[in-house]
This record gives sequence, C-alpha cells and structure tokens, in this order.
Amino acid sequence: MPTLANYLIVSGGLFSIGLVGVLLRRNILIIFMGLELMLNAANLSLVAFSRFNLGQDGLPGYNAQVLVFFIITVAAAEVAVGLAIIVALYRMRQTTHVEDLDTLKF
Amino acid sequence: MSFPVEFCVLSLGILMLLVDSFFPSIDKRTLAHTAIVWLAVFLAATFFLQPSPLWASPNGFYETDALGLFFKRFALVSTILTLVLAIEYAPVVERFIPGSRPGAGLGEFFTLPIFTCAGLMWMASAADFVMIFCALELVTISFYIQVAFMRRNMASLEAGTKYLILGALSTGFLVYGITWIFGMTGQTGLRGISTVLGMVPQASQTALLFGIGLILVSLGFKVAAAPFQFWVPDVYQGAPTPVTAFLSVASKAAGFVVLMRVVDAFLVAPALQAKLVPALGFLAGLTLVYGNLAALPQTNMKRLLAYSSIAHAGYLLVGVASVGSPAAGRAIVFYLLAYLLMTFLAFLVLIPVSKAAGGDDISDFNGLGRRAPGMAFAMLIAMLSLAGLPFTVGFLGKFFIFEAAMRQQHFVLVVLGVVTVACGFYYYLKVVRAMYWQPAPEDAPPVLVSPLTRFTAAFLVTLILVLGVYPKPILDFLP
Repeated sequence: MPTLANYLIVSGGLFSIGLVGVLLRRNILIIFMGLELMLNAANLSLVAFSRFNLGQDGLPGYNAQVLVFFIITVAAAEVAVGLAIIVALYRMRQTTHVEDLDTLKF
Repeated sequence: MSFPVEFCVLSLGILMLLVDSFFPSIDKRTLAHTAIVWLAVFLAATFFLQPSPLWASPNGFYETDALGLFFKRFALVSTILTLVLAIEYAPVVERFIPGSRPGAGLGEFFTLPIFTCAGLMWMASAADFVMIFCALELVTISFYIQVAFMRRNMASLEAGTKYLILGALSTGFLVYGITWIFGMTGQTGLRGISTVLGMVPQASQTALLFGIGLILVSLGFKVAAAPFQFWVPDVYQGAPTPVTAFLSVASKAAGFVVLMRVVDAFLVAPALQAKLVPALGFLAGLTLVYGNLAALPQTNMKRLLAYSSIAHAGYLLVGVASVGSPAAGRAIVFYLLAYLLMTFLAFLVLIPVSKAAGGDDISDFNGLGRRAPGMAFAMLIAMLSLAGLPFTVGFLGKFFIFEAAMRQQHFVLVVLGVVTVACGFYYYLKVVRAMYWQPAPEDAPPVLVSPLTRFTAAFLVTLILVLGVYPKPILDFLP
C-alpha cells in the first residue's frame, strides 16, 4: 500500500524533471512539455494530500480536488495558446530553438 | 447590494466578439469607443457597491472588501486607458497582421483587454487559492495572446514566446506552492489558512516555508521583482505598446493585491513573520538596486520604461515589507494609483511620437519641445513624476512608502530607496534633455495626435499635478 510519502516523492521527481527540462533544453516544444510536467506534478501531490489528510469529518479536502480540475483545464488553454504562438513563430523563422530568438537585445 | 461587475465586463467582451464577427463592415474603432463608454458605465456602477469587511462574507472564495473594490475600479480605469492607447496604436497593429480585409484582427485587439479586465477584477477579490489561480490564469493567458498579437512582427512574437515560457514557469511554481500549503494546512482559503496557522503555529515549518517561497517566486514574476525580472525588458520592448502599458500597470497592480492578501494571511504565525518580512525586504532591496542601475544605460524608451517598472516594483515591495504598519496598505494603494497615472501618460506620449518617427528610441524624442509642445509638456510631467519630484503625485507615493517603512524601522531599505531615487533622476531626465535641449532632425515628420489622446493626456497631467499638491480627497477615499 503506497503511503503519502511515496506519492510526494514521485510528484517531487516529476516537478524536478520538468524544471530541469525547462532550464536545460533548447527546443521550445520540449520546454513546453517540461512545463506541463510541472503542472501535473502539482496535480498528483494535490490529490495525494487531499486523499491522505482527511478532515475531522473523515472526508478529503474537496477544494484541492476541484483545483486539480481547474489546473487541467487551464493547462489545456495554455497549450492551445502556446502552440498557436509557437506555430506563428515557426512560420516567421522556421525554427523552434530558443537560441534563434535574438531580435531583442538582452 | 451585490452586483456582478465582472460578469458584465465578460458579457461586454463576448458581445464585442460577436458584433465583430457578424458585422464585419463596422468600423473597429467605433467598437472600441463603445467599449470605452460601457466600461465607464461599469466604473460608475461600482460606486453603488457596498464594501463588506474582509472576514465577514459568508463565501470564502470571493471578498468584496474595500481593497478589492478599489482594485476593481483600478482595473476598469486601466482598461479604459489601454483602449485609448490601442485606438491610437491601431494603424501599427494593422500593418503587422495579415488579413484579406482592412482592419482584420483589430476587433480582437480591442476585445482582449476587456477579458483581461474581468480577470483582474476577480483577482482583486480572490480570497482563496483556487480563485487566485483561475483569475491569475485568465489574466496571464489573455496577455500571452496580446503580447504576441502582431504576428508578422518578429519582436512581438519573440516577446510572446518568452512571456509564454516564463509565465507558464511561474504558474508551475504557484501551483506547486499552493499544493504544499494545502498539504500542511488542509485549507485552500486564505481565511482558513490563517485560522489553522493561528491554532497550530508550529505546524511543519519547513514544508510551509517551501510552499510560501514558491508562491513568492511566482508572484515575484508577476510584479517584476528581481531576481525574477529577466523577462521584463524583452517582453516590454517587443509587445505592442498599449499592451506594454497594460502589462506594466494592471498586471503589476493585481500581482500586488494578491501578494498583500497572501502575506496578510501568513503573518498570523510569528515564526513565519520572522522569516517572511526579511525575505520581502531582501527582494525589495535587490529590485530597487537592479531596476535603477540597469535603467541608466538604456537608449530605447520602452526598455527604459521596463526597467523603471522594475524599479517601481522595488518601492512597492518596500511597502509590502512594512505590512505591520497600518499605513503601509494605504501607501501601496496610493503608490499604485500614482504609478497608473504617470505610466499611462508616458505611454500616451510615446505612441504618437514613435508612430511619427518609426522607432521607440529616446533620440526619437529629440526636439519634441519645439515639434509638439503640448505632448512634450505631458511627457515632462510624466518623467518628473516618475522620478519623484515634489509637487507631483509620484513624490507623495514614495513619501508615504518611506514613511511606512520608517515606522517599521526598515532604515536600510529607506536609505537604499532614497539613493536609488537620485539615480532615477538621471535616466528620467535623459528623456527631458532629449526633448528640450537636443535639436530636432531636419526631416522630422509632424507628430499627429488624435483629440481623444490629447484630452486623456490633459486629464492625466491635471490629476498628477492636483493630487501631487492636494492628495486629501483621494486619501480619504482609499481603503
């Protein structure tokens, strides 16, 4: 029977993989996958916390589970907008690499 | 009396989209003018709303307290000003959007700020992390589209991509932070969290601090605080100018409202307060120094305003770090109001000037004092007020912030603040110097300004000067 700690370790691992992906990878699509992974790590630990820490009435905290649905929806919206921007970028520059984004001086 | 002003704004946005698609022959500028009138009506309607005290509302998700109500008005005013800017900027947008008919895409350009406005107003009232998250994402996602709106312009697309990646990263931090705070307290509502913290003040400190830290990082992104500011200059420079103004005023203000509410909820536990206040003070100091120093060598006006926006986030964070003092909340709100007036005024002058010159460089302002004396005077007032010259509203904003910080004995921050204000005079006066002491180029095209922009600029100048001398009416009105 997995405990709360198991879930949190997996979720922490997912979050770290996502964060490292965002920081190290150079392809915008892979970076985007890393971002999604971070959101899903949060979803996993939210559900785990809500399932294992029952309230005084013996029920899980439903606010967190509702928040998970909102996060899934928002992530979908973010992907829709994000991919549209990346497609527009690809049409202009034929690239999805962050190094090629150098119009604005740093 | 309760009155869902957010839903009215949302309906206005949907209606505008419908009109835009079903009556393509309507002039898009008329649509924008209509939207401005309606937003003004909603603004008037908010004065009939009664604020209810923060902890008294039956619903833990949404609070119509005085602070929330004030920021709803703030969001409406900044949306109206953004639409005024957008009308002035419309020809540039038209040039960078492919379309079979003239004005394609302009309807959306005028509609998106209205959806953002609804999100900002929900953020102002959000008192639960679920609500904070949803409202914040409504604002952020609609800003992604607006920043990347000119899709035949590489700078705009690049700014959009950068904002998208870093904005989504900050969302990830926010959500993960909320997760840990929920895990440690079993609550998502700010009220519930501070009740739990009041009962068990020592409940697993480390995990809770981890969660708060992640949320601070994510809000730091939103308000452009160093060291989470690196997206700001690029995004501000690349985005369409009205969107830059909207982003730097409304998005920052909403970030500060959420920050104030979140910090308030966690200050119940003294152990947390001992860690949170120094952390905020550190962020404030870093932001002040970075924003002001990095602004010194800038030659592009939009980039200069971006660094100035970072610097102003620093002064506001000094206010947030002094939350214990009762004057701090009012000082922050007054500062944000002053910041709204002077930033929008600067952008109102920037758009016609850069339209005439075809660029956003400070050198494009050369000789503006001769070419367009009225606009140059408006820019002069905006710059002096941003720098914090006495008898402008910007000076009083800084004064109230430093006063609140003195009461909380943050002497280091006050000294740092005063030094960086002096630094600010240098780069703001660079613009003034270009306008009045540099000769205009021989072939400088005339600066054309529409009557609406002229009227708005005059209105903002008057407000900056009047409130700078006589701030009492607005101070009485603030929450």
